[in-house]
Amino acid sequence: MSADGFKVRHVDLSTAHTSPERGAALSVFWWKDLPLGTQASLCEELPYSHPRLRQLASEFAAAQLEARSSELGAPLRATYEGWPKPELSLATAAGIENPVKSLDSVACSSSLPGDEISVVICTRNRGSALSDCLRSVSAQRSPPGEIIVVDNSSDGNARGLCAEFSRVRYVHEPRPGLSVARNAGIRASRLTIVAFTDDDVEVHPGWTAEVARAFADRNIEAFTGLVLPARLDTAAQRFFQFTLGGFGTTFVPLIFDRRFFEETRPSGAHVWKIGAGANMAFRRSVFERIGMFDERLGAGAAGCSEDSEIWYRLLATGGACLYEPRAVVFHHHRSDWPGLKRQIRAYMKGHVAALLVQYDNFGDRGNIVRICKQLPAYFLRTFVKSLLQGPPGRLGILAAEVQGWVAGLQYALRLGWRKRRIPVRMVANANEETV
Amino acid sequence: MTYMLADIELSKPFEPIQLSPGQDGIGLVARWRDRLIGFEMIALASGSTMTVEQLKTLADERFARRILVARLEEDLTHRRSEQERTLPNLSIVICTKDRAQRLSRLLTSLDRVRRQSAFSSVEIVVVDNASVDASTRDAVAGFEDVRYVFEPKAGLDFARNAALHVASGDLIAYLDDDVVVDRNWLGGLAKACSGNPDAGGFTGLVLPYRLDTDAQVFFERRGGFGRGFARREFHNARFDNPLHPVGSGVLGAGCNMAFDRTLLIALGGFDEALDTGAPLPGGGDLDIFYRVLRAGRPMIYEPEYAVYHEHRETIPQLRRQYWTWGLGMMAFLVKSYRTDDEMRARHRAMVRWWFLDQLKSLVRAAGRFRGQELRFAMAELWGGICGLAGEYDRSTARSQAIREKNP
Repeated sequence: MSADGFKVRHVDLSTAHTSPERGAALSVFWWKDLPLGTQASLCEELPYSHPRLRQLASEFAAAQLEARSSELGAPLRATYEGWPKPELSLATAAGIENPVKSLDSVACSSSLPGDEISVVICTRNRGSALSDCLRSVSAQRSPPGEIIVVDNSSDGNARGLCAEFSRVRYVHEPRPGLSVARNAGIRASRLTIVAFTDDDVEVHPGWTAEVARAFADRNIEAFTGLVLPARLDTAAQRFFQFTLGGFGTTFVPLIFDRRFFEETRPSGAHVWKIGAGANMAFRRSVFERIGMFDERLGAGAAGCSEDSEIWYRLLATGGACLYEPRAVVFHHHRSDWPGLKRQIRAYMKGHVAALLVQYDNFGDRGNIVRICKQLPAYFLRTFVKSLLQGPPGRLGILAAEVQGWVAGLQYALRLGWRKRRIPVRMVANANEETV
Repeated sequence: MTYMLADIELSKPFEPIQLSPGQDGIGLVARWRDRLIGFEMIALASGSTMTVEQLKTLADERFARRILVARLEEDLTHRRSEQERTLPNLSIVICTKDRAQRLSRLLTSLDRVRRQSAFSSVEIVVVDNASVDASTRDAVAGFEDVRYVFEPKAGLDFARNAALHVASGDLIAYLDDDVVVDRNWLGGLAKACSGNPDAGGFTGLVLPYRLDTDAQVFFERRGGFGRGFARREFHNARFDNPLHPVGSGVLGAGCNMAFDRTLLIALGGFDEALDTGAPLPGGGDLDIFYRVLRAGRPMIYEPEYAVYHEHRETIPQLRRQYWTWGLGMMAFLVKSYRTDDEMRARHRAMVRWWFLDQLKSLVRAAGRFRGQELRFAMAELWGGICGLAGEYDRSTARSQAIREKNP
């Protein structure tokens, strides 16, 4: 892999017939405002030839039509792997009149107002990244009803920056922990939809409009969207994106519901496949039903997984979450190698702690199976594979993962952690809540 | 074990497919408006019927998405009016040795397709590679407008190189004598060629010609020559495979390939020490794919450019084929290691990967108690060991001897 000048490049396939640039890049393909898919290529493989672009367009478009045309029964329900289950029939594939026109109508972007959306951004000592984030949130096609920044630093150092943005409300929450900050944001917000993004993220101009459309179209309680890499300049960023899979690479909408929960329950219910905290939203009513974020989890406490744990509670009590990749944010991955290692260690620590919390809440043995059997097996497999095939650096990351696993067990087993449980109410009629 | 080969047109109403007693399955070639869409091996009870319902289910699961992709592709092509490119002159070259019957079969199938061609001109050249009798010459005489060339030096790459110099086309398409071309073969090549004027070469889909014996069914089930039904593009490097282009076997097979003739001449043609008949019958295609890519020219795999290949009939023949795959692969790697310094790390990694992969499939076969699979895997592994142990040098000496015998 050539080390220098790896770019993230955006190509609109509805107009582009060639992409003349030659440098190695991750190309993100769009059809107008609809994200279609990505393809990483070295400079030897570029520029994409005209037939190659046409081929990519038709393969991506077929997946979109399958997942989005109402006549084909969209959206799809997630399978065990967290991927869509194909439901296309020969008759519908043959019957679509003028497929490119159907794609055009599927790709039309949302113009719904964002008046009912409170955007909550939690931050901690990240001034310059936060200002990029706020600039992108302020430049939305459909401006959100309110923007709340929760400053989780002890001295409140983001106050001055927030004053520069006229529509931003500033909340200082000195108690450390991302879950604490997120909960403070929920309490400070006033509108019916609470959308979260992070301070190391820039959001797409159509983000709030798409979030609004998802909640308007469907009676859902929770929502997640697509997280794309903003930059891939350094080896650490590329390692996170390509070797570790980034924040997911699914480009079709999916419903994560009771069925997905039951299917993956024996190995701990794979709620982490639902999305990422950098791009998620909830109807306010859901917090009254299942409670807010667990303050034992999240960055600053156990490490992370406060997002997936709330999805676990949601699915376990009969709710559903819609994943809709139209709502796009761009995440700045850690650019230095030690930062990446710390992050991976925190992820694994938080993951293990969340599994224990979930076991404590609902008593599903699958969580314990995941900790004691699946994760060690994954460590072993990765160890053998990276010894034989590489890639370089994988072993170091694996060591961070194992450290995180141990730390997660230690953290969660500390005395007194059970006293801070959140009461959970089951849905009276689970079927009604499912979309 | 015998499979029936059946064609199905997905745009028309289905009809049940009846197996005769003694047939244990269907090799189903699926088309959509005459375009090849998929191939499936379906095991069934002997003498049973594949019902319309079963066909529908299979079509929904396996072919519906590909039809949608194909329709989108056509629609997108129509949207943008491309100027018609005049296609180059084409030479179709068949290298054959003592197989007059199969040659006639192939020439008959070519006769059907060459009339409606988009190429500026099409010539067919048969290179008789030191056949022992006149039957090959007689077979060619039975067809109109086919050139006959005799090459006394026995060896497939001698024949291929001879053709390179007698052919007149800008594009040269090689066929082995054990294939038959699909009715859209020439159209598929024309499509690939007009879309990719800068390509150095093309490879195509290889489907089974018949599935009458255990060996043929087994080979096809184990993947055959199949490279899928999606167009693929190959370059000098690949993001998702750090060993590329050393593992050039993924590009296609030597029984159905075409090249820019000028490029091939500039590269010095095929390596005559590979593909020297019986002792080393393989590796020449890997080598030429690799060198075309290394010369910086892309290669295109086009599924509509399809042939039907007559697979090895008996189990010992098939075992030998797997052995030659191992042998050819390693001979090619040894040769490339010596001649292409820049890529040496990749060659070494490829040898390691290949042996590891073979061992894995050996262990898998042993674990499942599949005696035959185990023997095939052992044959391929043994071929690899022989190939690594000086086969390229032995073969070079052999080809030198052949050259001296026929000055």
